[in-house]
Amino acid sequence: MMDAASASPGPRPATPILLFDDECAVCRRMARWVQRVARSSAGVPTVDVRPIGEDPEALRRLDPTLDIWKVYAKSHLLMPDGSILIAGEAVAEVFRRSPGMAWCAWLFSVQVFKVRPFQSLLDLGYVILSDVRPIFGCKSCGAPALWARPFAWIVKTARRLFGRKAHPAHRPNFTPLAASGEAKPRPPPAP
Amino acid sequence: MNHRQSEPGQDGRSASRDNIPSLDAAAFESLVLQADGPIAVEFMSYSCAYCGAMEPVLQQVAQTLRSREPIFRVNVAVEVDLASAYAIQGTPTLIMFSEGQEVGRSEGLAPDVATVLEAVTAPFGKS
Repeated sequence: MMDAASASPGPRPATPILLFDDECAVCRRMARWVQRVARSSAGVPTVDVRPIGEDPEALRRLDPTLDIWKVYAKSHLLMPDGSILIAGEAVAEVFRRSPGMAWCAWLFSVQVFKVRPFQSLLDLGYVILSDVRPIFGCKSCGAPALWARPFAWIVKTARRLFGRKAHPAHRPNFTPLAASGEAKPRPPPAP
Repeated sequence: MNHRQSEPGQDGRSASRDNIPSLDAAAFESLVLQADGPIAVEFMSYSCAYCGAMEPVLQQVAQTLRSREPIFRVNVAVEVDLASAYAIQGTPTLIMFSEGQEVGRSEGLAPDVATVLEAVTAPFGKS
């Protein structure tokens, strides 16, 4: 039972494509880890890790059904057969495709009374990690989920107490642009 | 830089649902700065979760205001010069224009229809 969002009519490369949020520090770390472990013994990547980017049309060239907002919301793995695996299912498949992680990947297929307990645990872990990303410095990931806000407060307080510079306070519903985007003066009003 | 105006449905929404065309610098010049009537422009980024949360709301507002006040979208990750020219500090930022001039601005709105509708219509004195 795969969480296949859709089937793409177009041909795909033989290597699955993992799309990740390049603006999110946690996701970047995960992507780097996948790039490291998802390699055959000959060093050939078994998963093609790509940033999502900002071009909806480029995404649709990969698969016409891809919605960039949804791709940013959850990890998508585009499979060679045209199916798309999402979130925990995508992670499980990356494990299966990573020689270094194959020892535990079989667990996610174990089924007990039509339930896959380890896959469910992985799905839960994915949701938790996704919810706490803002705590770990992802400014574009939005506010931490409601349940994670006490932890966000604890982390912020601990950073303040122990000398590490706290992340600048988030304004509600607002993602500050990177400091590199220096503001120029606004254009003068037209005569 | 990408010089095009997307057709409805070109950024991840079905054609029937996307009421917010994306603008590049050239399209911004012709459709916003040289236009007469009230116009709202959302400066956003696809990687911004708050923009994603606001998207369905803005679609609804755009549908409601379709004939009175067009709403456009500018991706600050692509149109860096435009973002810089309008001193965009973060996303989402809504700027309201009348006769090519900025007449109002709202940053980080709560993603509900009433708030967004108020923000995009208030500078023009109608609700």
